[in-house]
Amino acid sequence: MKPYGTAHEDIGLILCILFCVALVTAPAGAVSEGDHAPDFAAPMLVGDGTLELSNYRGKVVYLDFWASWCAPCLKAIPEIEKIRNEMPASEFQIVAVNLDQKQKKALRFLNKHPVGYPSARDPEGRIPVQFGLETMPTSYLIDTEGVIRYVHPGFKKGDGDKLRREIRALLEKESSETKR
Amino acid sequence: MRKRFSIALAAVLLLAISGCTVVKPWERDMLARRDMAFESDVLEATREAHIYFSKEASMPGGTGGGGGCGCN
Repeated sequence: MKPYGTAHEDIGLILCILFCVALVTAPAGAVSEGDHAPDFAAPMLVGDGTLELSNYRGKVVYLDFWASWCAPCLKAIPEIEKIRNEMPASEFQIVAVNLDQKQKKALRFLNKHPVGYPSARDPEGRIPVQFGLETMPTSYLIDTEGVIRYVHPGFKKGDGDKLRREIRALLEKESSETKR
Repeated sequence: MRKRFSIALAAVLLLAISGCTVVKPWERDMLARRDMAFESDVLEATREAHIYFSKEASMPGGTGGGGGCGCN
């Protein structure tokens, strides 16, 4: 018969188990500048079809996570739409992911504030898990190779100009690299 | 006996841990509703917060006035 462990061994065993559980349940790390944007495919919020991020490879992509219950997201959307109209459509694409649990809430908002860019719907929240989203809203500026170049958490007054600068800088960088 | 007790204790702790969950930023749909706030009166909540801030030199740790998504 084996001797029973000491109190120290027992505490060690418990701590080991807890540590393993913590490792398993720990959230995945957030993606950041320099990481490849995780690819995803999700149903379109409006109409049929699927939105796939990889379809926009070759363009600078601005990916925005939003929900109708998120006040800063709703402030950001009209500004993002303005930005879309200012940038060259052949080089720049805005893609959104709506995280409302009820689709009709998102559609109600879009009926009042129509936008010209596609939005996927992900009520189960699988895509934000892939990106390790830490705040709402969060947007990602992705280059033509699918690498994240800028992460913008939240949205405050004046952030639109900051986004414009980041987008223009990336577009210029991409076009200068293409000319080489 | 002691080892069995330890394993049982670890099992209980594991079960207890599984009861805790963090609400993710994108899961605040229902919590963002005005009627889910502890204090649904925005003006009253702001006044209370100001009292805590000015009299006790501390920021209140509750929800924002009138609920909200906790965004930004």
